[in-house]
Amino acid sequence: MNRMFNFSLIEYALLSITKRGSKNIFIFFILTLLIFLLSSVLMISDAIKYELQTTVSHLPEITLQRLQAGKQVNIPVQRLDELLSIEGVQTAIPRVWGYYYFKAAGVNFSLVGIDAYEDQYKTSLQNIVDEHNMSALEKNNAMLIGSGVQKVLQENYYQDFFNFVTFDGKWQKVFIQGTFHSDLSLEANDIILISKTLAHSIFGMPETEVTDIVLKIANLREISTIITKINNLYPDMRAITKDDIRVSYQNIFDYKSGFFLTLFMVSAFTFFIIIYDKASGLSSEEKKEVGVLKALGWSIDDILKERFYESFILSLFAFILGITFSIGYVFILDAPLLRDIFIGYSQLKPSFHLPFYLNFGMVAILFFLSVPVYVAAVIIPSWRASTLDADEVMR
Amino acid sequence: MIYLQNVYKTFGKGETAVHALKNISLHVKEGECVVLKGSSGSGKSTILSLMAGLSKPTTGDVIVNKKAVSKLLDHFSAQFRRRSIGFIFQKFHLLSNLSVRENIIIPLIPENLSPEEIATRVEDVMQTLSLTPKASMATRLLSGGEQQRVAIARAMIHKPKIIIADEPTANLDASLSQAFIEAIRTLKQDGKTIVIATHDPLFFTLDYVDRIIEVKNGEILL
Repeated sequence: MNRMFNFSLIEYALLSITKRGSKNIFIFFILTLLIFLLSSVLMISDAIKYELQTTVSHLPEITLQRLQAGKQVNIPVQRLDELLSIEGVQTAIPRVWGYYYFKAAGVNFSLVGIDAYEDQYKTSLQNIVDEHNMSALEKNNAMLIGSGVQKVLQENYYQDFFNFVTFDGKWQKVFIQGTFHSDLSLEANDIILISKTLAHSIFGMPETEVTDIVLKIANLREISTIITKINNLYPDMRAITKDDIRVSYQNIFDYKSGFFLTLFMVSAFTFFIIIYDKASGLSSEEKKEVGVLKALGWSIDDILKERFYESFILSLFAFILGITFSIGYVFILDAPLLRDIFIGYSQLKPSFHLPFYLNFGMVAILFFLSVPVYVAAVIIPSWRASTLDADEVMR
Repeated sequence: MIYLQNVYKTFGKGETAVHALKNISLHVKEGECVVLKGSSGSGKSTILSLMAGLSKPTTGDVIVNKKAVSKLLDHFSAQFRRRSIGFIFQKFHLLSNLSVRENIIIPLIPENLSPEEIATRVEDVMQTLSLTPKASMATRLLSGGEQQRVAIARAMIHKPKIIIADEPTANLDASLSQAFIEAIRTLKQDGKTIVIATHDPLFFTLDYVDRIIEVKNGEILL
């Protein structure tokens, strides 16, 4: 009784995989490792790209800085009125922020001054403001800290408060009111939110000055016109657009991708050496097996089908395992070792979590670059051997 | 049953060409047991290979069961070997990493039979050749005689009409050779057509052998 699908052939293929144990285990291990490495690199890269794009999409349209002798200096707060009078500018929000170096841990915190009743310049901050009692921050001399900051402070025995050293060397005790977690882990982990008054006092900035100003623009097509007007009004001000920041992030990312490209190329090279070895011919034992199978009544078609099943099952399982390990390594373990290469722009190494972003196009490309290539490398020499007379192959 | 008509077989080309068979014509009747005798390199194995469709003649025709085996396409040639021929090789050619049972079922795999049918057939043939206790053992661990019984079982599993054996006793001692001879006798009694290539004198005096054909330098001696 003939059946639609020859399961005996698949059983034989499975048998061959297990019976040629050590060789197949080695190939399976190498394939899994290579797919794991390649997919991990691509998954980290895709996840970080996704995170950066999300971060950039939350940034203000225009950030204004003031330069003096090529260095960034504070902006007089009076300029706000002039800026708001420019047509097309919806809001102008002054920001007070800066870095605070925590010597004991050797890290920089990003201190951001927040005004409780002011519109925030990005949604993530606005969400934090909405969730916490910000007016209590100023009243209680308190702060909200990112989860990365919390970890560092706890490691240094600061459970409830932190002593900032102000610009003039005095101690400024600030209580920890709460911790926030952000979806945008990369940017939020090293942030400390304090009242603007406190920020001014720690940095030693006059109340009449701000670090920079962000603008919300009603019509995005007017951005270049508005920038021209600002430059005419204040030649010492530099306008940074969202696109500029996107390019800047992308450059940092691309630079770091170079390390990964090297790893990618080494993995690909190893894979193609295996493929070349496979495709360059069968061992005498394998040739003999092809001859015996032909002599016992297997057609070329049967032999190729069996080799197809064997190589497909082996490479498919290696692929699935490699991808599964990658998902676990990148999205559950947060890619220890590899992620540090990418996360450089935050001085504080945050306990950040890579967002789960699986690029199916990338998975498909990896699949087509591994499984069919391996299958072809197995089938082609088997086809060459099986087209010869069985008698000749067995001799 | 089996006809070889003006068959030539040449290996290689030009000056290095080896003329293995020269104008061989032969007829083996159904149910007949024929022994091809001759020294090593005489062309016996090449004749068997052509009869089984393992190789094609350079010129001439090989006709088995009214089929021009030498002209069959790969798919039909494989089907012919699978359904009509049971081949016992001199070196057994068992797949050493597979068990006895796994080796025996190899010819049945392309037939796409049900697992029950395969199991029934393999149990029958293993029982006939007293291989059941060794069913799960890797063939590389078997003695020469046991390996040959596996080779016979594998040749019989698909119930072929023709059994071809190439130097079947070359790797066996006297008692195992005798056991093989008895196994072939059973096959002959079952009505199989049998062709054996050998230079073992044991076969030249057997009562069930119908004809002995001598091959020398690629030609049949009359």
